[in-house]
Amino acid sequence: MADAAIHGHDHEDNRNFFTRWFMSTNHKDIGILYLFVAGVVGFISVAFTVYMRLELMEPGVQYMCTEGARFIADATSECTPNGHLWNVLITYHGVLMMFFVVIPALFGGFGNYFMPLQIGAPDMAFPRLNNLSFWMYVAGTSLGVASMLSPGGNGQLGSGVGWVLYPPLSTSEAGMSMDLAIFAVHLSGASSILGAINMITTFLNMRAPGMTLHKVPLFAWSIFVTAWLILLALPVLAGAITMLLTDRNFGTTFFQPEGGGDPILYQHILWFFGHPEVYIIVIPGFGIVSHVIATFSRKPIFGYLPMVYAMVAIGVLGFVVWAHHMYTVGMSLTQQSYFMLATMVIAVPTGVKIFSWIATMWGGSVEFKTPMLWALGFLFLFTVGGVTGIVLSQAGVDRVYHDTYYVVAHFHYVMSLGAVFSIFAGIYFYLPKMSGRMYPEWAGKLHFWAMFIGANLTFFPQHFLGRQGMPRRYIDYPDAYATWNYISSWGAFLSFASFVFFIGVMAWTLTRGKRVTENNPWNEYADTLEWTLPCPPPEHTFETLPKQSDWDKGHSH
Amino acid sequence: MNIQTAPLETRGRFFVPATHHRVGRIPSTGYVCVMPYEWKKSETCADGWELSLWPYRSLLKKDFVLFFGATAVVIALPLMALLGQSVLWGILPFFAVTAWGLWFAITKSYRSGETLEVFTATRDTVRLVRHTPKRPAQIWETNRYWAQVHLHPSDGPVENYLTLRGGDREVEIGAFLDVSERLALYDELKRALVQGIKIPD
Repeated sequence: MADAAIHGHDHEDNRNFFTRWFMSTNHKDIGILYLFVAGVVGFISVAFTVYMRLELMEPGVQYMCTEGARFIADATSECTPNGHLWNVLITYHGVLMMFFVVIPALFGGFGNYFMPLQIGAPDMAFPRLNNLSFWMYVAGTSLGVASMLSPGGNGQLGSGVGWVLYPPLSTSEAGMSMDLAIFAVHLSGASSILGAINMITTFLNMRAPGMTLHKVPLFAWSIFVTAWLILLALPVLAGAITMLLTDRNFGTTFFQPEGGGDPILYQHILWFFGHPEVYIIVIPGFGIVSHVIATFSRKPIFGYLPMVYAMVAIGVLGFVVWAHHMYTVGMSLTQQSYFMLATMVIAVPTGVKIFSWIATMWGGSVEFKTPMLWALGFLFLFTVGGVTGIVLSQAGVDRVYHDTYYVVAHFHYVMSLGAVFSIFAGIYFYLPKMSGRMYPEWAGKLHFWAMFIGANLTFFPQHFLGRQGMPRRYIDYPDAYATWNYISSWGAFLSFASFVFFIGVMAWTLTRGKRVTENNPWNEYADTLEWTLPCPPPEHTFETLPKQSDWDKGHSH
Repeated sequence: MNIQTAPLETRGRFFVPATHHRVGRIPSTGYVCVMPYEWKKSETCADGWELSLWPYRSLLKKDFVLFFGATAVVIALPLMALLGQSVLWGILPFFAVTAWGLWFAITKSYRSGETLEVFTATRDTVRLVRHTPKRPAQIWETNRYWAQVHLHPSDGPVENYLTLRGGDREVEIGAFLDVSERLALYDELKRALVQGIKIPD
């Protein structure tokens, strides 16, 4: 029998630093760990882009020389272009951003921290599994960085095959670097799948009494949809790269034509994973943005149910459009027509979301606090990216745009700007909740405007470059592309400066920021369960089931 | 401990005021849920009655079926496209492991909700039995006359903590219920210990 425990059952947090951060099974601590590690990896990955934009600033190769990589151009000494270094940088920028930055920040970080809080669960369903997921992610990141620094192709360090790891390039790349990269993605995938199983179980079975699926807050819903996509997409990737590994090391010929294999089949499998992957990246962002827009418009979200089902629809449709990434591989006309139509259909649920966000603001009392600025930035940039997406979905038009900077501009608008802006919206929105301290409003706004201008300056001119015919993934270009590349580079430097400024803002806020004493520093439209808790929340939350009146405001569903 | 099957289908729970009869369900056995505890009269003893309590789980069995069905359909999509090709064997094991993992996780989560507390009163004795999966049942028993239920609004590990006194030690009851349920249960249990229960037949 469970003996009564009336006295001496205190809730004091007496874990030491090591126990708390290295052996943590607490969903809030693990969420914070994910955010910090993703931030560090993000910095590495962003630093690559700065170096790449530096190289692309002027025609010719000034910095990435075979004689040694430079940071200061020197016209007097000779410089032979080092294409391998360039390829390595684009590859690891892609791999790190796709697997180790955005998903861990949104799904691992915000998902871990806020999904259990929003549904009133005391923790994740499997707290120790959660810890395993996090450390597998760290191990994967380390392998990824190790891969970059270990012997690879062309007698140099690292692999320069692009993040999609297409064979035969990836199967013929020399050295162990490629194998380490495959293991890195394996670990990251295993971590994501375990995390997804944990999230799904938590979401389905640990909701507070009375919280039916049609009453769950939108962010928790977005995490559930994301978890489901991870669960369905990542095993395909794991299988594909395992076969790459055996092709490389054990003489199998899954993707080698000389042994009866089919390299195009790898592309199909990769994109069957890869397209849902982009929704995995952005859907948690949808969830965050919904809460931010509702809060700072002082209105409940417009069309709660359509918002939920739009996310589900985007998730499902994401699995049946993959070949629009490969219109040029020689598919039949019928196949191309299907993928074109299916792709355009995605605009419908996405439109439902965009218009519902606008309708939420309509007639609301809109307040331009920092999180709202980021959410509006997201809305604008994601829509721009969506529009160029419709352009690219046309198989005929894609013949011209395929592998040009137009594509680069498109996916950076939806992912780098869309998803990253939603991450920043989430950071500023939840910073007082997670840290118990408030950031200086002017600093948040300065960060936003610098990043907004910088990011648009970087990527908007890339549409022009793409239309002029500049191909992706080259270290150099003819003089005709010089103007827009120059402007794009300045945009990248401005964005990077804003990121450095952001790190400063975070350091200042976490150490000296004004203490937040109330539970909810925003307003009564931030009405999900996390806002009923102190800032920061205590170690244990919702050990007793929350009251329905705490979360069921009735107006939003 | 028979949990009664109710014909009633509902999502979530609603409060049934002023009756002693509450319909119950353990999610993993497919019963329908209104309140996670249930009163009934003893079949063997005239003055006896029985109270069963279990933790809340939010996933109904039918929704589990729906969810797993949809997942299986989407998993089938790439696999069907790869039928007859060697690449199928590269992908299948990963899906098998993932699907098994998901199944295992959800059923494990159900099992953790299979804790069942049964409080039985006969003419002379009261007895609380706690069934936890994979552990022997824990039993507490005392003379019915001395049995008392106590409410600890704030000094327990949870708000409105309920304990039973009168035996060799003090034990908790219904710690997994929610705050308002424990409060309601306190009144009902106190009255039942004194007056017995009346269930309209």
